[in-house]
Amino acid sequence: MFAVFKREFLSYFRSPVGYVAIALFSFLSGYIFINNFSSGSVNIASEVISMRSFFVVIVPIITMGSFAEDKKRGTEILYYTTPVDLFSVVFGKFLAAFALYMIMFVNIIVHMIVTKSCNGIVGIGDWGSIIVFFFLAALFISIGLLASAITDSQIISAIACFIIIIFIQLISTISALVGNTISAFLAVIGVSSESANSIGTAIVNGMNWLDPFTKTADFRYGVFSVSPLIFCVSFAIVFMFLTFRILEKKRWAKS
Amino acid sequence: MIEINNLVKHYGDKKAVNDISFTVNDDEVLGFLGPNGAGKSTTMNIITGYLSSTSGTVKVNGHDILEEPELAKKDIGYLPELPPLYLDMTVLEYLNFICDLKQVKRSERKEQLAKIIAMVKIVDVADRLIGNLSKGYKQRVGIAQALVGNPSILILDEPTVGLDPNQIIEIRKLIRTLAKDHSVIISSHILSEIQEVCDRVVIINKGRVAAIDTISDLSRRLSGSSKLLLSFKGDAKKGINAVRAIPGVSDCKIRISDQDIHESEVTIQSDLATDVRTSIFYAMSKNNLPILEFRSLDPTLEEIFLSITGS
Repeated sequence: MFAVFKREFLSYFRSPVGYVAIALFSFLSGYIFINNFSSGSVNIASEVISMRSFFVVIVPIITMGSFAEDKKRGTEILYYTTPVDLFSVVFGKFLAAFALYMIMFVNIIVHMIVTKSCNGIVGIGDWGSIIVFFFLAALFISIGLLASAITDSQIISAIACFIIIIFIQLISTISALVGNTISAFLAVIGVSSESANSIGTAIVNGMNWLDPFTKTADFRYGVFSVSPLIFCVSFAIVFMFLTFRILEKKRWAKS
Repeated sequence: MIEINNLVKHYGDKKAVNDISFTVNDDEVLGFLGPNGAGKSTTMNIITGYLSSTSGTVKVNGHDILEEPELAKKDIGYLPELPPLYLDMTVLEYLNFICDLKQVKRSERKEQLAKIIAMVKIVDVADRLIGNLSKGYKQRVGIAQALVGNPSILILDEPTVGLDPNQIIEIRKLIRTLAKDHSVIISSHILSEIQEVCDRVVIINKGRVAAIDTISDLSRRLSGSSKLLLSFKGDAKKGINAVRAIPGVSDCKIRISDQDIHESEVTIQSDLATDVRTSIFYAMSKNNLPILEFRSLDPTLEEIFLSITGS
């Protein structure tokens, strides 16, 4: 696992990918920080939360090549024909992408140090949003890996990852839309408005349950709970396991 | 030693490999031949654990590739058709990575890599990026990769494809060196190469084993008799009569007869049991017909291959 981690991590810096991701993150976080700083009210929590919306761009850039490139170049055969465990390959690649995120995060730490040294406030809510940031990063990276394992084209992998992450980011909007449409439809076909509304609400709630952003929203106010974090970790494990199964299934390919 | 028993691989309705069985003995070089799409690469991929068979077993030094994959894979070095190289790494970085994957002990690593690098002659390029190497060097790095971990069995899928004649000769030499202490399976389209380096050949066609034997036995079996070509100075008829009189000669036919320069060429067919070459020499000498060329016309591997695969 360490071998795969080391290779993948260093490969980010052998190609433009690592530099592009870090530069993008530094530029965006720096822009937000300077804006806040010049207006005199720095809020690390809101900066970190703003940075989360760029997962949709940065995660596909980082993960698109993870497995797709191996398949295209024929190097995946190394993982099948050497005594290495396939799950440790998946986990190694996951750790490499996660480590790159940690390096990008150095920006935020610098911003925190600057804030502190200028007598600004770095409170419990800021730490809360930082914790959430990393758990969400883990979740999205595992989605990116899955997207990379299903295809041998980096572009398709990046697009698939982009669509899934954007769906998750918009889940609350989409659920409201779906819920309203369904209750309106039920009202039209003659269901009483009360039950139509309750069905609509149930659908909204059901879909919202999948939304990691709402689940972790309270962390920025310093209200911590374990279940949202377990939610992120378990889904990350599920996606990694699916990635592993997809790789393993290749062996039994029927075509 | 590799034992392959009743290997079958289905791709949907198509049987890519259909009941293949053969054994590769220790320190033997086995040639693996077959037309495109015969199932060569599929079989090799199954032996190395890259693909799983629909049924049948592969045992590598007694370890089943599916039941004890780690032990079996440790004994195999595999060079696929497309060498699995990371173009963004240097040769040394890459080989170290392979050591990690193959779990080579840190204490043995340096010595082992130095030996491999010297053996495949990539000392000069050890610190260069693989992406910048020529095709010949890339192929060598691919072979080096297969040698990491000191496997007792090497499986090389078309190791000389796309190389220039000099590189082909060098790789062939290397394979011969390796064959001294490894079992080697080579698949190749270059039949002369197989003829040169292999002890035995397995010919597969449409997913089935068409023949397993040594090259000389195969050629004898196929022709049923041995054929000779004789060209001499003098009258063709006189020569033919002289040759036909020799016991053991079953047939003698004119191939070319040039009256102007007074030269003739005949083909002679003889029984497998008798070696008629000496008698022919004396008969020609006695009849005052100087021999210009005299050689065996046993089928080459090309002919064997074409006749077995029916193309």
